Amino acid sequence: MTRARILVVGALVLSLALIGVYVAAGGASYTPEKSRNPCEPRPWHENSGGLDGLAEEFTLSALDGAACQLGVTREQLARALATKENRERFSKRFHIDDERLAKAIRAGLLRAIDDAEEHGRLNAIIAAPLRVTVEHVPLEQGIELIRDARKFLNGESFLSGIGDALEELLP
Amino acid sequence: MDRVRGNPRAWALALAVGVVLADSSIVVLALPDIYRELDTTVFGVTWVLVSFNLVMALAAVPAALVARRVGPGRAAAVGLAIFAGAGLACGLSDNLTTLIIARSVQALGGALAVTASLELLPATVGSERRATMVWATAGATGAALGPAVGGILTQLVSWQSIFLIQVPIALLAAVPILTVARHEMSTRVIERELRPTGRPHLWANVALAMVSASIAAALFLLVLLLIEGWRLSPIGAAIVVSMMPLAAVVGSRLSGWVADPRARAAAGAILLAGGLGGLALLPKAEVALTLPPQALIGVGLSLVLSALTETALAGRDPQAIHGGWTISARHAGVVIGLLALTPVFTHDIAVQQKDAINAGTAVILDSPVNPLLKLDLAKKISEHLESEDGKVPNLGNVLEPLPDDEGERTEVVQLRSELQDQLDRGATHAFSPSFGIAALIGLLALIPIGLARRIDL
Repeated sequence: MTRARILVVGALVLSLALIGVYVAAGGASYTPEKSRNPCEPRPWHENSGGLDGLAEEFTLSALDGAACQLGVTREQLARALATKENRERFSKRFHIDDERLAKAIRAGLLRAIDDAEEHGRLNAIIAAPLRVTVEHVPLEQGIELIRDARKFLNGESFLSGIGDALEELLP
Repeated sequence: MDRVRGNPRAWALALAVGVVLADSSIVVLALPDIYRELDTTVFGVTWVLVSFNLVMALAAVPAALVARRVGPGRAAAVGLAIFAGAGLACGLSDNLTTLIIARSVQALGGALAVTASLELLPATVGSERRATMVWATAGATGAALGPAVGGILTQLVSWQSIFLIQVPIALLAAVPILTVARHEMSTRVIERELRPTGRPHLWANVALAMVSASIAAALFLLVLLLIEGWRLSPIGAAIVVSMMPLAAVVGSRLSGWVADPRARAAAGAILLAGGLGGLALLPKAEVALTLPPQALIGVGLSLVLSALTETALAGRDPQAIHGGWTISARHAGVVIGLLALTPVFTHDIAVQQKDAINAGTAVILDSPVNPLLKLDLAKKISEHLESEDGKVPNLGNVLEPLPDDEGERTEVVQLRSELQDQLDRGATHAFSPSFGIAALIGLLALIPIGLARRIDL
């Protein structure tokens, strides 16, 4: 084999070897993490106990429920609810007025209560008045309930005195 | 090569070619700094690079004609003086428009100096073949060293210093050439030497344009990935990309081992494409993983540039005009590569930015962090996205200040690590399609290389 051929074949072998090794190491497998469909049921973490754990799962379920109603991702809604400016930008981008957003927030909160009850994390006695509360909750307070579900579940804002009872009734 | 080593004029001419051709890539590592300091866009800052290469592509052949008409000594001296003066203007620029105009003038002077140097080299080093080798090697070395030198100067001094340091170097290179210029003025020998020029070597120049597009993309994209994507400092990036000139030295040794320029060009194009393919398929966001692809690119660019330049110049007369065509082809390739790939990667970065923000928010929402903190963290990400509009996001410090509670702090630190992983992988992936396209262009250069008639030198 002439030097010229050795050089060309060597270049080819080296190039293919590098590409082969990188592909084998996962170089072609990267796909960006996609947002999950918020309309699909969300698995609850069974080890998240106590009021804090319940609040955590409740917030995520409420976000999923509201995002599903609005046809956006949970992540987009979470960022929108972070500040008033974000919410205005979100409303403009997706053509969602306050009334529709409030409706979606209420639907999300109801779904969170349903999920909590279904997963045995909320007693029916507690769930019923919570549902009544969220069905009529205004937008700002609805957002606050998602932001700070612990306060809501503890009854600090809406169901005064129910918090202690809730702690006892939690499975 | 003894006639080169002990010959100050040969060194001066090689230095002139090296410093001018380094200028086409020397600003690559300074672009992120220029981008921030002059408050422009990715597309805008690309023109700091594009303007120089575009003017070089357009002016190289006319500059060679001027050099032959007025005399290569005078042309080289004047060209270097223009190059130095415009370099000073670049270094003093405080806005993008002035910088781009000064870069264009710099390219005009550079085109004159480089093509005239090729006309002066045969008489200086003793033969046309030796002259071509010195000229091609000086050009390839300058182009390969440019980014590393630029990165070091940017970090240690400033981006302006890249241009200011060229002023004394260009003037130093002009000194030994002045004696030739004086001789030309006194003898008026030039008019008698003018003779008709032959056609340029089409396929060698087409191949040069294609591989130059690939090389430009490799340098530009890799630097952006290292600095904007992986947050390396300019000097850190300079150290990383210095793998390419180091490998180019190995490539230049291989050039002497194989005589057939077409085989060297083919092997170089394959290595270039292979290295770019490796960069397109990086398995992780790790600097070390860029080194093997860079090694292939460095060896490849050295082999392919020198082989194609030799092929384009072999047996063609006058050398300055055909050298002008190779300069024109190389810089046109750089412009096409940058202009074709900039929209691709800016689009991919924008898509990646959205994906990264969504992935980052998902990581935050699914993390074990206190629910009260979550929306606050999502807010911080959102605000950071606003401030980084149009740039590759770096959320490294977005979770600062960390919570006081030790448990929460540990969770947030863990969260930051997960976020960083998402962002690094996202940023790396954003560059993959552009590296892939550049690899394909390099590989397609095999077609004109195959069509180039074999010329034994």
